[in-house]
Order: sequence, then C-alpha cells, then structure tokens
Amino acid sequence: MPHDHHDDHAHSLLPPEPALRVKSLETILERKGLIDPAAVDAIIDMYENAIGPRIGAGLVARAWADPAFKQRLVNNTSGILTDLGYGGRQGEHIVVVENSAKTHNMVVCTLCSCYPWPVLGVPPAWYKSDAYRSRAVREPRAVLAEFGVILPATQQIRVWDSTAEIRYLVLPIQPPETHGLGVDDLARWVTRNSMIGTGLPKRPENGGLGASL
Amino acid sequence: MTRQPGHKAYHDMGGDLAGTIMPDRPDDPIFAAPWHKRVLGLTVAAGAMGAWSIDTSRFRRETLPQKDYQRFSYYEKWLAALTNLFVINGFVSPDEIRHGYDGGLQPMRKEVLRAPDVAAMLAKGAKASRQATGLAKFSIGEQVRTKRPEDTLHQTPGHTRLPYYAAEKTGRILFHHGHHVLPNSHAHALGELPEPLYSVEFRSADLWPDHDGNAGDTVIVDCWESYLDAIS
Repeated sequence: MPHDHHDDHAHSLLPPEPALRVKSLETILERKGLIDPAAVDAIIDMYENAIGPRIGAGLVARAWADPAFKQRLVNNTSGILTDLGYGGRQGEHIVVVENSAKTHNMVVCTLCSCYPWPVLGVPPAWYKSDAYRSRAVREPRAVLAEFGVILPATQQIRVWDSTAEIRYLVLPIQPPETHGLGVDDLARWVTRNSMIGTGLPKRPENGGLGASL
Repeated sequence: MTRQPGHKAYHDMGGDLAGTIMPDRPDDPIFAAPWHKRVLGLTVAAGAMGAWSIDTSRFRRETLPQKDYQRFSYYEKWLAALTNLFVINGFVSPDEIRHGYDGGLQPMRKEVLRAPDVAAMLAKGAKASRQATGLAKFSIGEQVRTKRPEDTLHQTPGHTRLPYYAAEKTGRILFHHGHHVLPNSHAHALGELPEPLYSVEFRSADLWPDHDGNAGDTVIVDCWESYLDAIS
C-alpha cells in the first residue's frame, strides 16, 4: 500500500486524553463502515464473562484427579484443548509445562505480552509491565519473592519466554491435602498465578471461585 | 570471533534493570478503565478483518516512536499502533484522524467482523503452524548458537522475535514444534516463509554474568531455524 513515513505517526493526531482518543477513532471507523460496534461489545463480553482462568483451573483440576488425562494434557495439549473446545485466538498452540519437586516453571513474554488467552483470559497488568518483562528472565527468584513465593534452593527454575505463537500453561504441583477431592473442589485450589508460575495453589477462601489470583 | 553487541531495540527489555512488580488484588477488575476494553475490542475486531497479521500489529507497536513507547500505557500502545495500521493501509486518512470523518455513515464493508460471528472467530483463532516444507536441520538435545537479532531482519527497520539477551548464546534444542510462519518476513507482508520452530533452552548462568540461583536454572526461548547456527 502506498504511504509516506508520516502515516506511522498518525496516532499523534488524535486527542491527548486516552478515552477521547479511543472514542474519536471508533467514531471514524464506525462511520466509514470499518467496524461493527456490536462486535466490539461482543468481544469485550467474551473476555469479561466467558474466557478466563476458570477454564485453566478446570484443566489443572482434572489433570490432578485423573493421571491419564494429565498425560494426554502434557503430551498433546493442543489436541485435548481442541477436543474440549478451548483452542482459539492467542492459544492456537498451547504447551503445558508440569512443575515437580525438581523443577518450577514460570512464563513471561519479554518482547510484548503473549499469554494463553483461551485458558487464562486477558493478561493482568503486571504481566504486561516493563518490570515483569525485564526481570523475570534474569532474576526469577527475586520476582517470585515479590509475589510471596519462596522456592527451595534445590528446585531449579525454568523461565519460558513466549517469543513465538507457542503459549505456555504451568501445571502446578497438587497440594498433598487435596488428594481425594473431586474436580470441582480441586479447581478452587488452583490460582491464576499458579498457572503462570508466579504463584502456588492455595486453600480457597470463601469457598473459592475456581481460579482466584 | 567475538563481535561487539549490536543494537538493542527499546521494546526488547528482557534482562533490563527495572523496579518493583505490582501484583494485582483479587477484587481488581479485568480492565482498569472502560476505554481499555474498547481498545482491546477494537484491536481484535480490526484484526479479524484480515488486512494485517498479528506479526504486523506487533511490528507497529514496537516501532512506535521511542518516547511514545516508553510513556504510553499498554492499551495506549495498542491504540496508537491500531490507528497507524488503519492509516498505513489506506483505510483512513491522517486528515480524518485529525478532524473526524464527515462523509456520512458508510455501509459496513463485507470483510468487517459482525457481532454474531465473534464467538466462532475467537474459538477458531489463526494457527501459525504450516505444513513442513523441508526437514528440520536440528534435533532434540543438539547444541546450537543463536545469531544477533539484527542479523535475522528481513528489512530495516525490521521485526524479529529473537531477544537481545539471547543473542550469540549457546543453548540446547528442547522441543521441535514443526514449521511455523516466520514473523521476520510476515510482519512486512514479505511472505509466510514457514520454518522449523524450536524451543531452545539456555543455562541462566550462560545468559547472566550475575546469576546466583540454582545451577540448573534455565531460560527457554522459542527460535525459528534461521535464528540458529550449528556448532561446528
């Protein structure tokens, strides 16, 4: 397409206040027939109400409860997710990485903010922050300490930098006191951060939501 | 031969010194402000129109002027890149961005994503994997050496997914993911040029001179084959 180099600074022509800037662009796009505002509403509704960490928590809980399911989830993540209807945008190629007494896994995207949207929803602000993107690969133990997680010195850390379209989901270690619980109760122990690797499963408060933070 | 370190792009921040991370709280909303969700919705809807790829979107975000990249919040970066994509691709003129569009309500283009199709579009996604066009050069467990990010570019300014901190380092092939679309060309509409994609594992002690964790600590970076050299 023909364009001059000024076009890649066109954003600076919008109003200074962000909310007005968005409104201004959306109005232009709507008038020019380039966007369906109802589709924008529907996308927002999906990420606010349908697609979120409860989906990932359900997968983790089922993996804890059913060793055969766990093997399939770890060995053929994409196949399982497609079968269950949890593939999709920003999670076309998901790999599950399993924590053990020997290895703790933790996920980051240093170049932008890649994240397994179909199973965890929209990434939290800290995941997209310069501080997390900068530090996670270099000093993961210091970062984990800021999340209240202290790992044994004997446990090695694998930090997964999501530089391609592969999205990583951490399968945390099942807390010993949860053995024998059903899938729904297990899911309440799974936190969102435990599936990113910046947290551990924890005892549910207030009955738990199935994937609190 | 050891070469001088090359240019590190400002979006490529892995390993930089940075401040404290602020974890969220259980009652924080998914979107901190109503306009954040509007930017997300617009960006996803516009992407579904098919006029540009996710690689091109990333390229436009990371090549925002440095002062904007560094002062903009996350969704402001998305909004700025989205604005520029509509202008660069000829859908909207700079004058319309500045003054608004007063040509009357135009009919919706046929390629525009409609509300009833949203759920199916999100569920379908867009796979980056492609049929293999050749054999993978490296095997699992093999040691490889990364190139410099600037030596993987297909144009200037260009796009690469090889971070600076992993440049000219020795790692080990952990996974082979099959052929994937190459962002370095695809971001500039220079073709998909699918290549074998590998997860390459590096010892943290090899990446960071000040590493003081467990000797077994590692960082895994997904690398396309053209980012890697064999170790002779």
